[in-house]
Amino acid sequence: MTMLVEMRDIHKQFGGVAALDGAELWLEAGEVLGLLGHNGAGKSTLVKVLCGAYPADRGEILLDGQRVEIRNPRDARKLGIETIHQTLALADNLDAVANIFLGREIVKWGGALDQAAMDHAGQKVLARLNPNFTNHHVPVGSLSGGQRQVVAIARAIQFQARVLVMDEPTAALGPAETAMVGDLVRRLQTEGMGLIIVSHDLHDVFSLCGRLTVMRTGRPVGHVRTQDVTQDDVLGMIIAGRMPVAA
Amino acid sequence: MFGRRLFGQATLGAALVATGAATRARAQSGRPITIGVSWSNFQEERWRTDEAAIRATLTRLGAQYISADAQANNGKQLSDIEALLTRGVSALIILAQDSQAIQPAVRRAQADAIPVLGYDRLIEVPGVFYLTFDNVEVGRMQARAVLQRKPTGNYVLIKGSSSDPNADFLAQGQHEMLKPGVDAGTIHIVGEQYTDGWRPEVAQRNMEQILTAQNNAVDAVLAANDGTAGGAIAALTAQGMAGRVPVSGQDADHAALNRIALGTQTVSVWKDSRVLGARAAEIAVAMAGGTAPAAVDGAAKWRSPGGMSLDSILLTPVPITIDNLALVVDAGWIPRERLCRGVSGSDAPAVCRG
Amino acid sequence: MKRGILGSLGIDARLAALLGTLAVIWLVLHVLTDGIFLTPRNLWNLASQTAVVGIMACGMVLVIVTRRIDLSVGSIAGCAGMVIAVLQVEVFAPGTWWNPWVTLAIGLAVGAAIGAAQGALNAYLAIPAFVVTLAGLLIFRGIAWLITSGRTVAPMDPTFQLLGGGFQGSIGDTASWVVGALGVAALTFLRLSARARRQRFGFTPRPLWTEAVTILLMAALILGFVAVMNSYTRPRTDIVQGISIPVLVLIGVACALEWLARTRRFGRYVYAIGGNPEAARLAGVPSARIIVAVFALMGFLAALAGAVATARLNAGANSTGELAELSVIAAAVIGGTSLAGGSGTVAGAVLGALIMQSLDNGMVLLGLPSALRNVIIGVVLIVAVWADALWRRRAGGTRGAEA
Repeated sequence: MTMLVEMRDIHKQFGGVAALDGAELWLEAGEVLGLLGHNGAGKSTLVKVLCGAYPADRGEILLDGQRVEIRNPRDARKLGIETIHQTLALADNLDAVANIFLGREIVKWGGALDQAAMDHAGQKVLARLNPNFTNHHVPVGSLSGGQRQVVAIARAIQFQARVLVMDEPTAALGPAETAMVGDLVRRLQTEGMGLIIVSHDLHDVFSLCGRLTVMRTGRPVGHVRTQDVTQDDVLGMIIAGRMPVAA
Repeated sequence: MFGRRLFGQATLGAALVATGAATRARAQSGRPITIGVSWSNFQEERWRTDEAAIRATLTRLGAQYISADAQANNGKQLSDIEALLTRGVSALIILAQDSQAIQPAVRRAQADAIPVLGYDRLIEVPGVFYLTFDNVEVGRMQARAVLQRKPTGNYVLIKGSSSDPNADFLAQGQHEMLKPGVDAGTIHIVGEQYTDGWRPEVAQRNMEQILTAQNNAVDAVLAANDGTAGGAIAALTAQGMAGRVPVSGQDADHAALNRIALGTQTVSVWKDSRVLGARAAEIAVAMAGGTAPAAVDGAAKWRSPGGMSLDSILLTPVPITIDNLALVVDAGWIPRERLCRGVSGSDAPAVCRG
Repeated sequence: MKRGILGSLGIDARLAALLGTLAVIWLVLHVLTDGIFLTPRNLWNLASQTAVVGIMACGMVLVIVTRRIDLSVGSIAGCAGMVIAVLQVEVFAPGTWWNPWVTLAIGLAVGAAIGAAQGALNAYLAIPAFVVTLAGLLIFRGIAWLITSGRTVAPMDPTFQLLGGGFQGSIGDTASWVVGALGVAALTFLRLSARARRQRFGFTPRPLWTEAVTILLMAALILGFVAVMNSYTRPRTDIVQGISIPVLVLIGVACALEWLARTRRFGRYVYAIGGNPEAARLAGVPSARIIVAVFALMGFLAALAGAVATARLNAGANSTGELAELSVIAAAVIGGTSLAGGSGTVAGAVLGALIMQSLDNGMVLLGLPSALRNVIIGVVLIVAVWADALWRRRAGGTRGAEA
């Protein structure tokens, strides 16, 4: 079966520092991949390359087995790759709907913004995620952390994504919201989406992800299936770069 | 590479100082000298004529010209003068941005035994030579010409910049001429405003407001210079009053002379700045050559508002009205075709007819 | 969700506060000047005096919203004004029918080009806008002088002079009523069509009476303004002046920029860049091109303001627009534009310009010296910004409490 996403031999330098030095990952449709590593391992950078925030210096990215060029965020979105960034990347002075459609506004004839259409679609997707969300017209800067997360997620699932990248999705959330994220992940998985979750939280990763990729100083340590390893094994991979002993 | 540049600059600097010292010495013996001119704000329209005259005269006398523009900033003028002194001038011509703030710079020059000529604007420091057009007389001339057209009625004074002492000299002369009428109750001064930075658009707004406040009951306008006159006349034009209300000005700038020919402005007091510049250059060279201020040809003692006695020459300005426009054409100040642009009809001055 | 009267009517509370402040200032000045301030003539003058700064303030809002500043607008106005004057009076033959239009077009193109160049230096070379436009302030004021070595150029083409208002530069009473009627019609159409569109998507609309009240209030303002303009007759005649051309230009510019800011993607992206530049980038917003466009637009408007000022003075002077950037920025800030970026309205900026010019206009009527006027305007600026900051904190606080 062809992979949904494959990233091979990715190199990226910032100044004189190699953030990614031959990094790789692959993802199948309907799979949830956990991307792990210590601080500075390069996991955020790798997914940023995938979502077009930084173009890779060297390496290949394949989608459905075909080679693709991802030079900027527009390219990534066109390929159906959506991202929920660690910082959420929301414009605090715009409201929820404006953020959902930022860069992809619905326009009427003549190029004018179709505010009503966007409000309609936006409120629908927000309601799907959280029926209690009503602050549609206030700037998102005034919303709570959980509400802002909902807006970021809504933006990611609105546009028929095939791959969803979530960078530290539960870091700032309470238990109720974390549970919601979990439900969402499972639901999207059954819909055939491929998900990549970057996280520090081993418990969340183990409960959501079918497979894990561990990185260390810009290079891959190894790829394992969650059911084959323990949390301690994974910790060993993260900290020492030590592959677990095969059972 | 950077080190080499510094070395080069240091050598150049040393050479300049040496030259400066040498120049000073040569000046006393009457050889080629350098005159430094510190302009207050070269951006204002009229000074380029002055500069041209100064340079031409200096060239004729075999002297060098260097200058600096303080861009209406007192601090910068102090630095400018220090720089001119460092470059080794034999005498300074200073158009002061502010007559009080210029004093430290002048004392610096005097400490270096460099003679100073105060150009057009007053510098109240003993030993400075003051060369100007009699600005109080300019104000009197403006008022005289306007009074001739409207001896009684409501008068408005559109003055110059409040930080320029010349503005107050002008107003002084104007008030002097208006006083008999004011005392007798036949003249009322219904509006009096300074104009920030001598800017025409500010004068226009102020005039608009005064006209509104007086419901257009204004009979005459004494504007301090041609720029402000232009602004005042634009405001009068918007009320359909241009041509019926006499307006004064100063500097004889081309646009103003054209307005006089058209009949919208009554008088522009012409200070032939070519004469001022030429005389300044001559006096500066003479002082650099050792002549004392009191011994300058034509100098007289003048009492400043601060009570100081200064050696000075006050040149006589010429009021230009529609009757003597030929003067400025004949003197080569303005080409006839520019003066007469748009002028036609029976009211046209003689110089524009035929 | 609690909402005040203004919220239910769909009126921006901050704009309402500005209008209220303006009304208070006007009433106070009217009393202090013994009833001269609120006469048709003075209001007509006031409108024309506000035009130059107002035109530029509309563009400055967009610049400040993107977290940038443009210090060169006064110099661009002066430079473009001089270019137009010299071309009109000395290069091309005066009196031809095409002279005023061609020279105006060239002047506007010059302004836009300068703006685009400054924007490009900021967007592509990452030179801070403060620095680029500070350099522009010096460079173009210098060029304005160099064009004629400081000489004032006058008089302007008679058709061009109309751009400055004055004796014949108004559109007369019929045309003014037409403009007013068009304004009310457009306003009604926009509100009702937006309402209809929302209904089509299944949103419950606001009660019809609230729409009617809002439309009536704004119609009253628009038609009241036209009525005042039509009460001023040409001096010593019965010919009604109507809306002066500089004011018409200001209205046109304000409407165009409001339209741009609210209904086009361009406007949405301007606010996004100001709210979170990184988020805008990640969303695929073409930030660099937008910045260049914003500065080009600002340069164009500065040149337009310079043309109006030159026409008003009937002379090209190298000092035109000097220090204007300060008034323009102050107008935008008083109108609610935050220097931190991300928020501000064009309508607010026009009101801000009107507030400042009203103060200056009234104080000259009172015969106050210019130094004192500057002090008072400076104090008002601080009070306005402080009030705006208080408002933001209060508004942010109540909303944050709703979970």
